[in-house]
Amino acid sequence: MTPTGHGSTVVELPNDRDVLITRQFEAPIALVFDVLTKPEHVSKWFAGPGEEMKECSIDLRVGGDYHFVFLTEDGIEMSFRGTYLEVEPPTRTVATWLFEGRPGGDAVESQDLHEAHGVTTLTVKLAFSDAAGRPTRFEGMQESFDRIDDVVRSLLDPKAAVSR
Amino acid sequence: MGSRETNGRSRKRSRAYRPKPPGLRRGFLKHMPISEYIGTVARASTTSDVFNAIAETHRREVLDTLIAGEKAVGTIVNDLSLSQPQVSKHLRVLSEVGLVRCRAEGRRRLYRLEPARLRPLHDWLAKYEQAWNDRLDRMDDYLKELQQQGEPQ
Repeated sequence: MTPTGHGSTVVELPNDRDVLITRQFEAPIALVFDVLTKPEHVSKWFAGPGEEMKECSIDLRVGGDYHFVFLTEDGIEMSFRGTYLEVEPPTRTVATWLFEGRPGGDAVESQDLHEAHGVTTLTVKLAFSDAAGRPTRFEGMQESFDRIDDVVRSLLDPKAAVSR
Repeated sequence: MGSRETNGRSRKRSRAYRPKPPGLRRGFLKHMPISEYIGTVARASTTSDVFNAIAETHRREVLDTLIAGEKAVGTIVNDLSLSQPQVSKHLRVLSEVGLVRCRAEGRRRLYRLEPARLRPLHDWLAKYEQAWNDRLDRMDDYLKELQQQGEPQ
């Protein structure tokens, strides 16, 4: 039972700083990696309907930068940039992630890929701001948001909980 | 409760869940860090807010243990290794925001969960998930396109 296809993305809040996004694709890991890391591919899917990709550059090596810019339907420019910290094709990239124009909106984004039986699982972890330095006030908060999102879903949305 | 039940990930999510934080522009939600979003919401409201109430680890544990059903304070104290005053304090905060309800049965006070009050969080999560889902759906479509063109690797 592999939940793939439209609508199968799972978003979890393992603690108050991280967001975990999981999605499976029926495609080989090398192809999924390329589609995530080559500008000619990213520019095809990153922006949504009505949005226009203005810039998409990726220098895929440790210390290399990437920069994505797109215009929203309302003509607002959205700019993201960052620097690769780890590059391990085809399984893993780690990069800084900065949403320009929103101070505090910086994170470290890890993308991990794993293939089994022709299905590639993508796990994106966004660790926002302080999480990178783990300030002391969050020590011991490891368990923190633990199962609350599961709890919420199972109580309000039994079908969503079943698919997990 | 009045909302249309689709497959649990309806395209059109109810918008009436809470006022938008000031300055929140269209398109921001999908790019906004969760900590920032929750921060905005928390700042815009008072402590009698579901988000704040569940920001405390032990309160989430209390909610967790109540999922199994209605429980007396003593049972909750046993379930979690917390003192009775601690549990009572958390139950009071949770009652204030309506996440738990209390009733008396003889001399015992029984607490139960009010899951509907978790809806703001649920709705927020659903929106965030929808935004990611849309993007990864596009990636999925694109991957299929590429594969149909003959497995370029």
